[in-house]
Amino acid sequence: MPFTAHDLRYNLESSYPALCAYLQQRTKRYLGQFAYDAYEVDVVVGHVVEQLTRIQLLGGGDHAPETALDHLSNAQFYAFLNQSIKNKAIDRLRRRRLPTSTLAELEGSGNNEEDNDYLTTVVESIWGSPPFPTPEAAALQAVSQEELRMLLKRCIEELSNAPHQLQAVIKELDEVGAGDFLQELKEEFRAQLADLELSHLSQHKDHAHKKLRHCLQKSSTNLAVLIALRLTEYGEHITGTDEMSVEIRTLAKDSLSEREVQKGLKHLVRAGLLEWHGEEIIRFSSVQLKHLARFYDEGE
Amino acid sequence: MKKHNDGLSDSRNEYLPLAQWLQQILAITPQQPEAELASITDNGGEFGDAYHSTFYQQLPDFVLALLNNDTQATIRFAPLLFHLTGCPICHSAYLEIYDAMHATLGIDETHIPVGQLSQSMATTSPRMLVYLCRLLINQAEAVLRQARNDHTDNDAWARSLLQQAIYSSSHLTQSMLRQRALRDLVEVATLFDDVTTPAAHSYTSVLSSGSGSRHGSKTRRRAETLGRPVGQPAIYLQSGLSELEGTITQNQDILELHLEDLGQELHGRFLTISVPLGSLLEPVRWIGGNPHAIRSQVPVGEDGTLTTPLGSTDLRLSDPEDHNLLEAMFKKLDVRPGD
Repeated sequence: MPFTAHDLRYNLESSYPALCAYLQQRTKRYLGQFAYDAYEVDVVVGHVVEQLTRIQLLGGGDHAPETALDHLSNAQFYAFLNQSIKNKAIDRLRRRRLPTSTLAELEGSGNNEEDNDYLTTVVESIWGSPPFPTPEAAALQAVSQEELRMLLKRCIEELSNAPHQLQAVIKELDEVGAGDFLQELKEEFRAQLADLELSHLSQHKDHAHKKLRHCLQKSSTNLAVLIALRLTEYGEHITGTDEMSVEIRTLAKDSLSEREVQKGLKHLVRAGLLEWHGEEIIRFSSVQLKHLARFYDEGE
Repeated sequence: MKKHNDGLSDSRNEYLPLAQWLQQILAITPQQPEAELASITDNGGEFGDAYHSTFYQQLPDFVLALLNNDTQATIRFAPLLFHLTGCPICHSAYLEIYDAMHATLGIDETHIPVGQLSQSMATTSPRMLVYLCRLLINQAEAVLRQARNDHTDNDAWARSLLQQAIYSSSHLTQSMLRQRALRDLVEVATLFDDVTTPAAHSYTSVLSSGSGSRHGSKTRRRAETLGRPVGQPAIYLQSGLSELEGTITQNQDILELHLEDLGQELHGRFLTISVPLGSLLEPVRWIGGNPHAIRSQVPVGEDGTLTTPLGSTDLRLSDPEDHNLLEAMFKKLDVRPGD
């Protein structure tokens, strides 16, 4: 056995060459006509190496907590790596706009070598289907959790100063069927909404959404969200243009260092919300401003 | 089991509209989040937000719980689920890991056709070595930031990652590649260092190839002025944009620092020398025991030069890999008046 998950965790320096060799071997197989394109091979191999590092397996030693990967059998671990490589290789091939038929051949079952290589064989779960039809379905359930609900509730409550906007949001929640969450809100604002007329709902809804987004951004402890919020708040119009500008030091006011600001800006650049290349003054268009005002991310 | 799943399904149905509404409010952004991870080979070095690390690390366990039909998974991993709704990087990784973990189910331990694999650093692509070093350094930064955020101490973990990056980089023979591999090393290793007194001079090692003998004529001439034979293995130091202002040489086990052109204000004074990365590698026994406060054995000469021992080591500057290790350790060297 050239290397194991245990080796990668505890003896990275000696096992990394074998890991690279294995990943490269599999990559070349799946990359088809790009098998000898060094850049493509690096991207695919690098992707899996990065994933293993972020999972904290590579070089994690006793410091990083063990994960399910540590408890896979060797054959399972190789199957995991193989599948990860295969997925990334297919992704790269798609980016290179290869004809679909070639991809089909790649994943087809007519290949004798493929038939003999059980690492690449799709295996049905012996435990049956997972409880969610897709992984996204599991993630969607997140909003049913208490923390986010409480945050959302607090932000909706802040609309109570603008009863028409509050009414618009509650009506919207009613239409989407928000269950007990909606009942709680209705109960809380029963008196306030009792005699309100339904008018200009669309306009009130837009204003309410804007306030909700602002409230959620303000409540976030995520650095990028905080920077997005500050850009929208501190940005000043450049006369005669459609652009706004703000200096890094302005964004760094109140509890942030310039380094943190730059980190947040980089995150926004990666998210495609901003064009910034390290300049002291950040410029952005009114369209980007709108998008920044909608940016939200979880975590700190 | 069926009952449990039905309950779960009801619960999901109840909250699905709210979830979709919330997503609409929050996530109607125009950006097309990159489906793939922000990768160093793709974009040249960004590793994403440091605070993802705790969540990212939980993905395999969460995925396995889902694959095992663990109905409590979404409760046990609730914070991760929150994070996944808003983080395209982790969400994308989640999908990938889900698929790859799924492929492991039902595999038993029989034949594993891995073939003959190269197992030496010498035959490993230098690009992949550079890449590994940068990943490890970035991971160390993520660990440090997370620990600071959580008010925990993960210094030993970060230190271990940085050590592994340095040791891995020592196999790179080309100085440019080592430079790239260790680009963020100093910044990360000193991320939360509390430096109250600014350095009078701050030096950085000039990465060299082979055993450290640089062959530029200017360097050779300047090296002679530093009082050591040309061709002797050395680590070259420079401060700011100057060509050469110091060297570190080895006399048997002793590492000696040679500095020149020190400012008038330092003449006749003892110096305190700090090697911020000195505690990363243990094979050096520093004079005074603390690499952050090595007191010079003699004062700076009236001609602005100083030669003083730093510590002893079993590593050999004449050995290319040992040289590279020591060179990485001296990527930053600060001097301050010591009196």
